[in-house]
Amino acid sequence: MHERSALGGIRILELAEGVAGEYCGKLLADFGAEVIKVERPAGSPVRALSPFGNGPEPENSALFAYLNTNKKSVVLDVDAPEGALLLRRLIESAQAVIDDHAPGWLAAHGLDPATLPETAPELVVCAITPYGQHAGEERRHAEDLNVFHSSGWGFHTPGGNDGSRVPLKGAGRFLVSYETGLDAALCVAAALVGRARGGAGRFIDIAKKRVMYSRLDYVMGAMLAGDMDVRPDHTALDLGGPAAILPCRDGFVYVWLSDEPMWRALRGMIGEAPWMDEDFPHNWLQEACTPDRVARTRRHLTAWLADKNKHALAAEAQERGVMIVPVNNPDDLMASPQFRFRGFFALVTHPALGEAHYPTVPYRMSGTPAAIRAPAPSLGAHTDSIFSQAGAVE
Amino acid sequence: MSGTVPLERLLNRGGPLQGVRVVELTKVWAGPHAGKLLAFLGAEVIRVESRSALDSSRWYNGDDIDGAAGYQAANPQKLSVQIDTRKPEGKDLLFKLLATADVFIENLRPGAIARAGLDYEAVRRIKPDIVYLSMGMHGNDGPLAYQSGYAPCFAALAGVSAVVGYEGEAPTGMNIRYGDSTAGAAAAFAATTALLHRQRTGEGQFIDVSAVEALSSMIGDTIMDYAVTGTAPRCDGNRHAEMAPHGAYPCRDGEWISIAASSDEAWRQLATVIGGEALAGDARFAALADRHRHLDALDALLADWTAGHDAAGLEADLQRIGVAAARSVSTVDMVSDPELWGSGYFHTVTDCRGEDRSILGPSWFMTDPARLNRGAPRLGEDNSYVLGDLLGLSDAEQRRLAEAGVTV
Repeated sequence: MHERSALGGIRILELAEGVAGEYCGKLLADFGAEVIKVERPAGSPVRALSPFGNGPEPENSALFAYLNTNKKSVVLDVDAPEGALLLRRLIESAQAVIDDHAPGWLAAHGLDPATLPETAPELVVCAITPYGQHAGEERRHAEDLNVFHSSGWGFHTPGGNDGSRVPLKGAGRFLVSYETGLDAALCVAAALVGRARGGAGRFIDIAKKRVMYSRLDYVMGAMLAGDMDVRPDHTALDLGGPAAILPCRDGFVYVWLSDEPMWRALRGMIGEAPWMDEDFPHNWLQEACTPDRVARTRRHLTAWLADKNKHALAAEAQERGVMIVPVNNPDDLMASPQFRFRGFFALVTHPALGEAHYPTVPYRMSGTPAAIRAPAPSLGAHTDSIFSQAGAVE
Repeated sequence: MSGTVPLERLLNRGGPLQGVRVVELTKVWAGPHAGKLLAFLGAEVIRVESRSALDSSRWYNGDDIDGAAGYQAANPQKLSVQIDTRKPEGKDLLFKLLATADVFIENLRPGAIARAGLDYEAVRRIKPDIVYLSMGMHGNDGPLAYQSGYAPCFAALAGVSAVVGYEGEAPTGMNIRYGDSTAGAAAAFAATTALLHRQRTGEGQFIDVSAVEALSSMIGDTIMDYAVTGTAPRCDGNRHAEMAPHGAYPCRDGEWISIAASSDEAWRQLATVIGGEALAGDARFAALADRHRHLDALDALLADWTAGHDAAGLEADLQRIGVAAARSVSTVDMVSDPELWGSGYFHTVTDCRGEDRSILGPSWFMTDPARLNRGAPRLGEDNSYVLGDLLGLSDAEQRRLAEAGVTV
């Protein structure tokens, strides 16, 4: 019955109310898991977050619509006695639980991580927090921005900052939450593999800070082992060199230049370029990469790029072995022949928001592709049907 | 030569993927990262390597191919077998190894795996239920699949770079280190769901991962904004639609603190500390929309105030009153972070020279985790296990293959 979906027949209870937990649940729901989202009577707080489309509250958040495809929504006041009872029944019917409340919340709601091996030995419980289950009271308040800074990304964004500019938050509002949701989904899936192979359930403690720190493992591993210098500069993670985002006629391109073959290939592409003969010794990119040469290279490239269009230029560059790519905007992504070929955007019809092309997932799978089969649920859409099932179980 | 960690300890580490065998033909960071995550979940991950096509990350330390820092960071807990897959006998060896494998990972340059005769169709003939994970900048197939690039190219193509920058200026993009590990994590997740499907049905499959799309997924709501409202995103400094203040503010000694007021109540708490009841009641900053309208004044006011404070002390003070704040940490702070050391996030393993080495563990803690005990492998460190124990080749046959240049 579920041979075409990787997680078909698996029930996952989503107690999470933030972007990280909802994204984790979405990744699993899009693979066919039955994800039941428990919402407070006023609805998930994410329903109050922008962007908003047409339609009435609380059904008009495009963020919620994106993060909750394929899920079922039940409304439950888990802090009321009757709600707590129903929650217990739902938990008993699930193979996995996703939560992102503060440490202690799960224990207060019948899922004490410390006693799970006895109380629910087969259950997979994944708890997402900013700093982990053991973080003290002094580290409880953190938005994605704060995690971005406490994990080392903030201080080093953007590159090339000599200390005169304010560090930046990174891309969008929820990059940290998406990264975290991804690792959480990986762990839930792995724990379900362990279960399918005869193992026990697991409690999984996901800290946003550790996720973001781990995303720097290639350099931090080297620094931790003493193979690479640490220094209190904003440029400590930079590679240096002329690689940069530069303006062109219809936007921006990213130019990567790191060795002599690339320099020669660029020269072949530019053609007449007397500036490239002025004090650029052989192999300068690796052996004599001075700030002055970097600045001159960027200045001349900017002049050269002024009448170039990003997509045509990038295509020619790839043919010539020059690493120039367009700096894409969402409209570029939607028009991209590559994104279209891979079917990255899916047309979804949502009762309030109408039709829109949703971004999907970066993996195409021959056997069990992820798919959006249903739009995000309206608040409490499945309360009756789920609880009549739960009642039947009783 | 034998390895530095006894085989028994290397192969029986527990974890949810204990018993899963992964074979990888990967380079640099994104591909190796996918294998690393699976190893951290308990899988036995075997790197197939050869001096004839050495991973360039082994060269970044000059001639010390076993001591290269990045290589060691990307490949802890893995095994290494030397097989030159471009030689017919080497290719046969790889096929024999794949016949024992559950997952195969490749992230070679576009088209290279097909030219080598190691594409999905070829591998599934040997091992019909293999989970075959192919990773590329744009994925394995499609009109732009021939293109290649490094992580900052993924970020530019993905739409990520365009939204990072100062208001009214050209985009700066993310830090140059962003991208590979995200793509690796997405790939590892997809492969793990495929393993679950295989466990339940016996079916393998082909997985084609685009690093660019993996990064687009990290700005999913930005793209949704365009899809639903047609709004084109711009560089907006540290702005946040639902929070103000939201940004980094200077502290003493060149340090910075990040502060995010996620509600009007959080703002009033913060304002009271900064300027007492007068500021908490200042109509210019009363509600979110007011604070956004007067954002420059708000940011200037905050920066004035934070500038006289020590970042760590201020973080503690603000946490106490329920305001989301965190010091902005440098690499010096990162390697000495007491929370990370105290929690067991860093592990001590035995490196390929038999010495202790500190490594970053997985981002997760879990019940019955996979134990970590070995650093990245020396080139060919596990030749005798893979060629002898797994493939059943005699010592004499292994010597012949080495002399013939097949396992170099």
